[in-house]
Amino acid sequence: MPMTDNSAGKIGAAPEGARARDRLALLTADNAAVPLPASVQAITAILLAALLIALPWLGLGYRFLSIAITTLYTAIGLYGLGLQFGQAGIMSVGHAALMGVGAYASAILSVQLDLGFWTSLPFAMALSAIVGGVIGLPTLRVGGQHYIIITFCFCALFVIVLTNGGTFTGSATGLDVGSVTPLPGINFDKLSNNYYLVLAALFLALAATHLIGISRYGRTLRAIRENEQLARSVGINVDLHKLGVLMVSGLFAGLAGVLQLYYLRHISPTLFGAFPSLYLALMVMLGGARYLYGPLIGAVIVNFLPEVLNLDPVDSRIAYGVCLLLVILLLPGGVGAGIKNIYCAIAGGSVTQGGGANGRA
Amino acid sequence: MAALEVRGLRKQFGGVVALNGIDLDIDTDRVVGIVGPNGSGKTTLFNVVTGVHPATGGTVFWQGQDITNIGAHRIARKRLVRTFQQAMSFPGLTVDENVRIAWEQGRRGGGRWASPGLILDFVGLAPLGKAIAGSLPFGSLRRLGLAVALGVSPELLLLDEPGAGLNDSEAQAFAAVIAQLPPQGIGVCLIDHDMDMMSELCDRLIVLDFGTKIAEGPPAEVLADPKVREVYLGPDKNAAVS
Repeated sequence: MPMTDNSAGKIGAAPEGARARDRLALLTADNAAVPLPASVQAITAILLAALLIALPWLGLGYRFLSIAITTLYTAIGLYGLGLQFGQAGIMSVGHAALMGVGAYASAILSVQLDLGFWTSLPFAMALSAIVGGVIGLPTLRVGGQHYIIITFCFCALFVIVLTNGGTFTGSATGLDVGSVTPLPGINFDKLSNNYYLVLAALFLALAATHLIGISRYGRTLRAIRENEQLARSVGINVDLHKLGVLMVSGLFAGLAGVLQLYYLRHISPTLFGAFPSLYLALMVMLGGARYLYGPLIGAVIVNFLPEVLNLDPVDSRIAYGVCLLLVILLLPGGVGAGIKNIYCAIAGGSVTQGGGANGRA
Repeated sequence: MAALEVRGLRKQFGGVVALNGIDLDIDTDRVVGIVGPNGSGKTTLFNVVTGVHPATGGTVFWQGQDITNIGAHRIARKRLVRTFQQAMSFPGLTVDENVRIAWEQGRRGGGRWASPGLILDFVGLAPLGKAIAGSLPFGSLRRLGLAVALGVSPELLLLDEPGAGLNDSEAQAFAAVIAQLPPQGIGVCLIDHDMDMMSELCDRLIVLDFGTKIAEGPPAEVLADPKVREVYLGPDKNAAVS
C-alpha cells in the first residue's frame, strides 16, 4: 500500500542509491492527507498542553515570557490563515491587516465608548470576520497569485487609512488602552496571567482547527482546495464556502488582534502593515499550513530564532529568508511535515493503517 | 415525460456555434449513448446541461423543473451528476476521503448509500482506500471518478468518455460496472468513441454532428443510418449517385 505519492511501489526492488533517495523522499513528502493514529494525536496534544501550561513556572524570565505571549497570539492569527490557506488553499499576504481590524475596533470601542476587553471582543471579532469576507469577494473571480496581490493592496490601504484617521484612529501615533478587565481573583496586569489568557485563546483556536479538520466542513474546504470544478460537480457551493472560510479566518484574526492590543496596550499602524503581514505568511509556510501544529511551530521559529541566535532585525530577516528557501526546497509541507515524517519513519509503516480519519498531523 | 428534457439548447463560444438547437429526452431506466465526431458538441452538451457553462439559449428540464443556468452545485444536488473527460479527483486526498466528500454531499435529503465504503466496494476500489488519489494508476483513477460521482447518489449519471485511456480489459470491466447501474435506479448517459462497446452497452444511441442531433434510436438502427455513416466514413459515393 503506497504511503506517499512519490514513493509508491518503488521500495523493495530498488537498488541501493534509489532506496536512499526513496527514504529521503519519505522524509520530505507532504503527508498531511494521511492521518496519525488517534493515540499518537492524543499524547502529542497532552504533552504540548502540559509544556505550555508549565512554561511560566520554568523560571525562564520576563523577556522569554513576553516573547512567548507574542508567539501565542500570533499563532492564533496563524490558525485562521492556516485554515484558509492550508485547508481551502486561499493564501493571503495581508493577514496582519485583518488582525489590525480587530485590534483597532477594540481600541476605538475602548477610547470612544469605554468598552472593556470582554465586551469589545465579540464586536472586534465580528468586524474582522465581515472585513475578511468583503476582501474575499475577489476570490470569486480571481484565484492564486492574483488574489494574493489584492490582499497585499488591502494591507497597504488599511495602513494609509489608519495613519490619516485623525484622533479617531490616533494617526501614526496609534491608540492606547487600559489593561484587561480583571476577572474575580485574576488580575491580568501580571504577565503570567496575561500569558494564560492568551494560552486559553490558543487552546480554543487549536480545538476549533482540529474539529474543523476532522469535520465534514473541513473536508468540503479541502475538496475546494484540491479541485474546484469537481467540488462544484458533487454539489459543493464553492463561492459560499470560499467567503465563509475567509470570514472564519477573520474571527481568528480578530481574536488575535484584540489579544495583541491588550498585551501591548498600545497599537500603531506599522504593526499591521506589509512587513508583519509577510511575516505571518512566512510563519504559516515555515510551520506547515496543513498540519495541526504547523502554524504554532512557524510562530515559535520566527519569534524565537532572533533570540536564540542573538540576531539583530536585519540579520534575522536574512535568516528568515534562508529558512523559507530551505523549507520550500526540502520540505514543501513545512517543518510540521518534517516532524510527522520523522515520526512515521521511526514508527514504520503502521502509521498509514491506523486511527482517526482526520487527515492532519 | 422523460426525466431529462432538453429543448432547443444552444451554446455559442464567440462566433463558434457548439450546440445548435438540441432536443433530447433521456430516461433514467436505461443506458443512453451519445456519439459523434470530435467537435460535434458532445462534451459541450454535458457542460451546459450540468451548469459548467451557461447556455446561450434553450431550456433544460430535470424532473419537470427548469434547471437552465442555475449553477453546477445546485444541479448536482438535484441528483443529476456528471464525470469529466479528464479523469478528475481530489488528488492530494486519500481515496476514502475523495468518496466521503461526495457521499456527504449526496446524503443531504437521503442518499442511496449507507456508507462511503459501499461505493468503494461497488467500483472495486476498497483495497486502495488509504492510497493518495493522485498516486493511483489511470485505471483506478477512472474508477475513483465514477465512485465520486456515485457518491452524490445520482438518479442520472452523465459519463464523459469513461473508457478513454483504458486498455481493453479495463474498459470491459468498466463497462460491466456501468451496466449494473440502471437496474439499481441510476440512469446512465455516456459519451464514448468505442462503437463496439457503445452498441453493446447502450439501449439507445444519439448521434451529434456540428451541434445538431442527426440520428437517434436503437444502436443497430442508428449505425445503419446513411447520415451517420456519412459523418463517420465520409460521403458514400454510391449513395451520391442514386
